[in-house]
Amino acid sequence: MIKITKAGYHGILLPELSIGLDYSGNDADYIFISHAHADHMPRNRKLTVYATPPTAELMRRRGFSGEIIKMSFGEPLETGQARITLYPAGHILGSAMTFVESELGSVLYTGDYRTPPSPTSEGFQLPDAKVDQFITEATFSLPIYKWKSHEELKMEVHKFASDSLADGYTPIFLAYNLGKAQEIMHMLRGMNHPIQIHGAGYKLCDVYETFGFDLGNYEAYDRATCEGKILIAPSSAPETGFASNVKKVRTAYCSGWASSEARMAQMTVDALIPLSDHLDFFELLDVCEQLQPEKVWITHTPNPDVVQYFLNKKGIDSGFLDLEATDQD
Amino acid sequence: MSQSFHSLAQLAQSVLETRGTNAKIKLAAEYFRNLDDEQDLRLAAQFLGEGAFSDVSGKRASVGHRTIALQAAEFCEIDYDMVFKPSRTAIGSASETIQKLFENLPEAKAKWSAGNLTLQQIADIYEELYITSGRDAKQQILQNAWSKMTPLETKFFIRIMGGGSLRIGFETKSVVNAISKAFKKDLESVRYAHMITGSLGDTAVLAKNGNLHKATFELFHPLSFMLASPIESRAVENLEQYIAEEKFDGMRCQAHIEGQKIELYSRDLNQITTSFPEILDFFKERNLPEVVFDGEICVFKENTILPFQLLQKRMGVKKPSKKLLSQYPVLFIAYDLLYLDGKPLFEDSLLKRREKLEEIADTYNLPVTSQMEIGSQEDVEELFQRALAHGNEGLMLKLKNSTYEYGQRRKSWLKVKKPSGSLDTVIMYAHAGSGKRGGKYSDFTLGISVKDDERYEEEFIPIGKAYGGYSNDELDEINKRIKKITLERFGPTLLLKPEIMVELEFEDIQINKRTKAGYTLRLPRFKAIRWDLATKDADTLKDVERMFQQKLDEEREAQGRNPSFVWE
Repeated sequence: MIKITKAGYHGILLPELSIGLDYSGNDADYIFISHAHADHMPRNRKLTVYATPPTAELMRRRGFSGEIIKMSFGEPLETGQARITLYPAGHILGSAMTFVESELGSVLYTGDYRTPPSPTSEGFQLPDAKVDQFITEATFSLPIYKWKSHEELKMEVHKFASDSLADGYTPIFLAYNLGKAQEIMHMLRGMNHPIQIHGAGYKLCDVYETFGFDLGNYEAYDRATCEGKILIAPSSAPETGFASNVKKVRTAYCSGWASSEARMAQMTVDALIPLSDHLDFFELLDVCEQLQPEKVWITHTPNPDVVQYFLNKKGIDSGFLDLEATDQD
Repeated sequence: MSQSFHSLAQLAQSVLETRGTNAKIKLAAEYFRNLDDEQDLRLAAQFLGEGAFSDVSGKRASVGHRTIALQAAEFCEIDYDMVFKPSRTAIGSASETIQKLFENLPEAKAKWSAGNLTLQQIADIYEELYITSGRDAKQQILQNAWSKMTPLETKFFIRIMGGGSLRIGFETKSVVNAISKAFKKDLESVRYAHMITGSLGDTAVLAKNGNLHKATFELFHPLSFMLASPIESRAVENLEQYIAEEKFDGMRCQAHIEGQKIELYSRDLNQITTSFPEILDFFKERNLPEVVFDGEICVFKENTILPFQLLQKRMGVKKPSKKLLSQYPVLFIAYDLLYLDGKPLFEDSLLKRREKLEEIADTYNLPVTSQMEIGSQEDVEELFQRALAHGNEGLMLKLKNSTYEYGQRRKSWLKVKKPSGSLDTVIMYAHAGSGKRGGKYSDFTLGISVKDDERYEEEFIPIGKAYGGYSNDELDEINKRIKKITLERFGPTLLLKPEIMVELEFEDIQINKRTKAGYTLRLPRFKAIRWDLATKDADTLKDVERMFQQKLDEEREAQGRNPSFVWE
């Protein structure tokens, strides 16, 4: 079995193979970055890393200045000791699972993932080869989390936008500016209604278009002209005056965390749309069952015990690699 | 044809998801209007605003949170501690957790199917819970009920059963509003009918049938109590329009009497008759006409009103022993008369009611409060000091020409109270909140210092748990801060490094042997977060003991020259 260590917030290290996974330390020869969300990008912005072409481009836009060696899905890298292949993770554009094969055995590291995949990602695919050790994120690690189908959520998003506009309100979708924001724009493209997106998300949109995802008729948020358009902003935006000049707005919070009633009161929003870019609890169990690894390592979760409880029931051995989950979904 | 409970649950969910009180009222009004059957309407209004039973019924389903949670875990075939508890912590509401688990887990899904139960069938289930005792039997009833409901229904079934808020942002006032709107009746008359009947269900039916004017007060149906506002919050301009009474350190009580038939009701309108046999005997001996008194039960011994702490030994004891009766004898002191000889008096002025009350008290030899005229702030001060000397809480100022505003807390009655105590304490534990505060740490265990106390090995021990008194900003600030000082995590509870100091305000100190400190505080709440204090500034257990002793040792003047109440 390949030895797996975790180094606090620095990510995961396979020391025998000198491989780092979403790793920030400088003691690994090969570092693979699963996707361009801040909690997975290296803290050391000058490292040399491997990533898919879209992830590479998104990392650049978000300030990473080290060398990024681009690797396409399904095209393995041989290090002499190991063979590494990236598989599409379905989380956001460019997101990849890292599959490591060696004489010591194999490891699949998910990064963040979602299945069924986000329509604004390259899909989701597991390796055909045997996975000995499976390192999986478990952000939504309780049986209270079960997502609606993409079609249902798309209808909710559409309905919220069109009802608000019909009633004379400007709809605001609060969604994380990389991934969720573009997914919502993609969902809404058929409405042909102008969209304005907050600046931090705006500068990432053309990367999606470059890689073939249509985001519809959009422009950067402009306070003076935003009224009556569909607005997309991160959840912190309303506190900082976003669209505060528009009197009649309705706000929808779009997140996996939007699945409890208390959030509605806390966030003072008009609607909660539980759209997540992670897989739900039951999908997680299904993936584990499908892979039948020797060992499941659970990371990025507040409740490893619960996942382990359910995996035990299925006779799957598991352990906890304690990387704290972040609230950023 | 009786209406389905499912449609009520859907209505409640829509109300929850709708923002704005008027929009919520509109939804409920439409729903009420479409209920053809009277009994359905009665139950729907009651379920939305009161709970499983009408407030005046005095009934409760009496199913504990733990019973519900354990049964739900069994229904899902999951471990309670391992799975249910963390799920509830994440969501912040047990009933919502149950809804989701029932929707998601295959083991639970296999057990329920939509049985399309009617409102009446739901009422019957609550009734069954009321008459059944024992956890096992109650759990069996829950299990059966849940197996015939959708998870959405189960969620609201549980919330209604609790009798608290449905947590849909729709309280009694809104239900009254919706009834008024549904049947196009004047809001004031709907409100009046509700006050009189004490029942939202009856009110809705009266409104539907155009019978609001028939709402009449009946003996042995308790009326909501008139409440007092603290004087600090109300500017009193014309003191001479008020009269003063001493505010007793006792228990509010409404006595309904018709000759030998007597019932006593507490502040929350529960029957407490059997707890106080000496009051029953007292009234029986006098063979009163039909009357309703508002008054106070106090421990009264050797011509002295004794502290509330002693009355507590009698509260909740349904069949007090002879010993208890002789140790803590109680007296009912009347201060208002609400009904006499078939006529409600609450529309009369206080002066008029008082006149009649005094007549009856004279005739039948009953204790009634002393009333004092006041003309100036100095009078208030002097009377206040005298009340404290009697061991009473302070003064009540009552507007002479006010009607009995049942269920209202306005400025017709004002209370002048001794400032309550406060302690400088340190936050020891933070607990995840529920309901509106789900997902935040909103409840805190506060500690006092025992580091120089040879009886303890710890540095701090808990003295109380507080979950209010802070602003939203302060709560956010604390939540931010506790992330950095969390030492350990036990499910929903965080053990914190002692650091954040809180000035804790409370109403009273009571002995409680089951706590580490040996004392508990009554109504503890944040007065201020004291970022300026350090843990070395925390008050000590010795301070608490001293405060308690002071309260007990306070000289209580026997009733003498200027008595708190008159009893010929």
